[in-house]
Amino acid sequence: MYKFFLLLLGCLATVSLAQPDSAKKAEDWAFSHAAVSIEGGEVYPFGDLIDAVYNTYYGGFGFRYSYWENVDGVVMFHYSYFEPRPKEVVYDGVHQFMGKVGLDWRFKLIEPIVLGGGFACNWTRADYEEKERPGFNDPGGTLTDNETEFGWYARMKIDIVKLEKYRFGLNVMWEEIWTLPKRSDMLYAGLYIERSLW
Amino acid sequence: MQIRSLICLVLGGLAASFAQIPAEMEGMEYETRADGTFLIGGPTFVFDRILGAGGLHSESELWTPAKLRDRLLFNRWSGVPSWTPFEPSVWMKTGNELGDLIYQDFITPENRPSNRTPVLEAGFRTPSFKGFWATARMFQDDHFCSGAYGIRYKMVDDEFSHFGANWPFFSSAYGGFGYTNSFVNASVLAGEEYIWFYTQTSRWIPAHYRPRVEARADVGNLSVTVAYEDIEYQNRIQNETGARKEVNGSVYYKCGKACQRGIFQVAAGMVFRAVDDSGYVYTELEEDRVAWPFMELRVQPFTRLTADVTFGINERDWLVQDSIEYRAPTPKDMGVTVGVKNISGSRLNPLADSYEFLGTRQVDLTVDGQMNLIQSYVAFVDTLGSVALGGRGSFWAEHGAETFDVEEYIVDKEHGLKTRYGNVSRIDEWIKGVTGELWINAWYREMFRFTAMAGFEHIEGDVDNAEVTPAEFYTGFTGDWLLNKTFKISHSLRYRSDAKWNLRSSDPMVVKGDWTWDASFSQMFPKYGITLTGTLLHVLADEVEETVNGGIDRLRFICSAKKTF
Repeated sequence: MYKFFLLLLGCLATVSLAQPDSAKKAEDWAFSHAAVSIEGGEVYPFGDLIDAVYNTYYGGFGFRYSYWENVDGVVMFHYSYFEPRPKEVVYDGVHQFMGKVGLDWRFKLIEPIVLGGGFACNWTRADYEEKERPGFNDPGGTLTDNETEFGWYARMKIDIVKLEKYRFGLNVMWEEIWTLPKRSDMLYAGLYIERSLW
Repeated sequence: MQIRSLICLVLGGLAASFAQIPAEMEGMEYETRADGTFLIGGPTFVFDRILGAGGLHSESELWTPAKLRDRLLFNRWSGVPSWTPFEPSVWMKTGNELGDLIYQDFITPENRPSNRTPVLEAGFRTPSFKGFWATARMFQDDHFCSGAYGIRYKMVDDEFSHFGANWPFFSSAYGGFGYTNSFVNASVLAGEEYIWFYTQTSRWIPAHYRPRVEARADVGNLSVTVAYEDIEYQNRIQNETGARKEVNGSVYYKCGKACQRGIFQVAAGMVFRAVDDSGYVYTELEEDRVAWPFMELRVQPFTRLTADVTFGINERDWLVQDSIEYRAPTPKDMGVTVGVKNISGSRLNPLADSYEFLGTRQVDLTVDGQMNLIQSYVAFVDTLGSVALGGRGSFWAEHGAETFDVEEYIVDKEHGLKTRYGNVSRIDEWIKGVTGELWINAWYREMFRFTAMAGFEHIEGDVDNAEVTPAEFYTGFTGDWLLNKTFKISHSLRYRSDAKWNLRSSDPMVVKGDWTWDASFSQMFPKYGITLTGTLLHVLADEVEETVNGGIDRLRFICSAKKTF
């Protein structure tokens, strides 16, 4: 799947070249606009992961900056608390911090829908007390130490309300983390409020 | 100059064409190369042999003046861990071997994949204030740490790293100050370091540098490097501890601008090591010291003919590396080079230790006699608009190649460790090889660059007595796109045929030929000096051990951010 993602990212980046020429040089677009946002929503595990954890909520903040004329750079930080489904896992849940770095493409044809993608990094640590700490090979055992894994995400963002300084909208993200024995897929659906900085 | 630049294309074109994928750690550039046999045991050990290099040795085994500021890891020169200060900037890097369980843990009771491990780095170098600057850096590479993990974590008291509990092959931290102006570049760095050495017996030996202090000064054409190392050794399984206090460094006077205009161009220097051992140190340097004076001489009677000689000598060893190269007159946009290269010496690395100890037994790391390698080659390049075609063919013959005479193979079943006992020896007969390489390079302005390359090598002689039988064939394809001068996408797809470790286990270890793909994406902000990079390494390839007792070469992802001042 990651091969597909790489291909997709390559194609999107190449397509962006088809943007009309502008008097402004590409390097001059960088950071000419910037915005911060807060976001909250729900996370839905997909595939085999449905048997591993319950749906949960997520929240966090983001930073968006202009990169090229119709392309923005995005940095996002989110937090979730995942509760395990199998009873064999002795602790209540797992803290997960997520970081995402990517690009958003604003195609005029489908405005106000924005498409984006990039790399994702999830840091996890089980919420356990030392006396109930499972062994490394017991269910949930690997998460009693810090575990980090990377992956990719693709997203669709819709600005529902646009004011001079503020935007309110819907963000839907598909995330695949490069775990084994299978990749881990999740869908994020959330609402955001964004404030333009400059 | 036209011809000279074309020649540079011939010789440097291949190397430059896969420089776009960043290595996971500075000094590990070999991991993205296509043009040879590169078998990684871990960040601190690699068998690295470029196909057209001639001879059977690994490049890192051979001392050259270009490695004066590399690290000596047992008997090899390594760019890891590098103590070369970065440019003024702040940076961070993190990554992981892909395949941790995360929530798959809850639903995978059996056949759980082994733990995947990260890479970590952060550092800064301040802008210069009246020439003065400060720097600090922490970096460690936990990739490949599956190698001999079962015994390594038992050998040392704690996690043997600055962060985490993966027993990485190196973990370094240093800080210091420097002064730079147009004439002087000087720095003093001090730090603490954990390194595992891979030795001739195939063991990993832990060395804890506490502290390591390195001072460098470049004043005009003079370069001086001095390091003090206080190294602790430990093997908790055998209740052994030892210590080595070492001073090493070099003095080098290079050929400056005025010198380079002359017919005779001379540079000279001296490398030295002095050690003071106590307890179990596992290796010994004869007489506790070695000094290695050397000289480089270039003679250029006319522009098309260049002769280079580098030689060094001391009371134990001598080493000569020389070449004669002729650039033939050719039409514009074309270049043809004919050359002869020779390496002769009593030891490839005259600065390395003299003995290794396996229990009460002594392994001799030196051998009488000498090696002789002679290679003749012809290289060409032709440029047609935005396409360049190049090639290189060579014939080489080596007598007295350094190898290892195994007397016993030892298997530690409890820890899955294969070691050997014997002595360094020579292959006292001629081994011959013929090589051929072709490459094509195409580009469109700064936006696109594509390279395809292929090479083969046929070796005749007693190659099964060499440490490694190198790959016979490689092919590689690289593509680099620079979009809007601010977004870079690089790919490298390559294949290497089988290679074989002949002498590290009773049954030779075949490292199967395989395809590998690397991909890298960089967002760049030239106005602000910011670069964000994500890189996937070792995609498509099987995840296998490439060295006896070495780590597994896994698919891994590395991301980095850097802001230059």
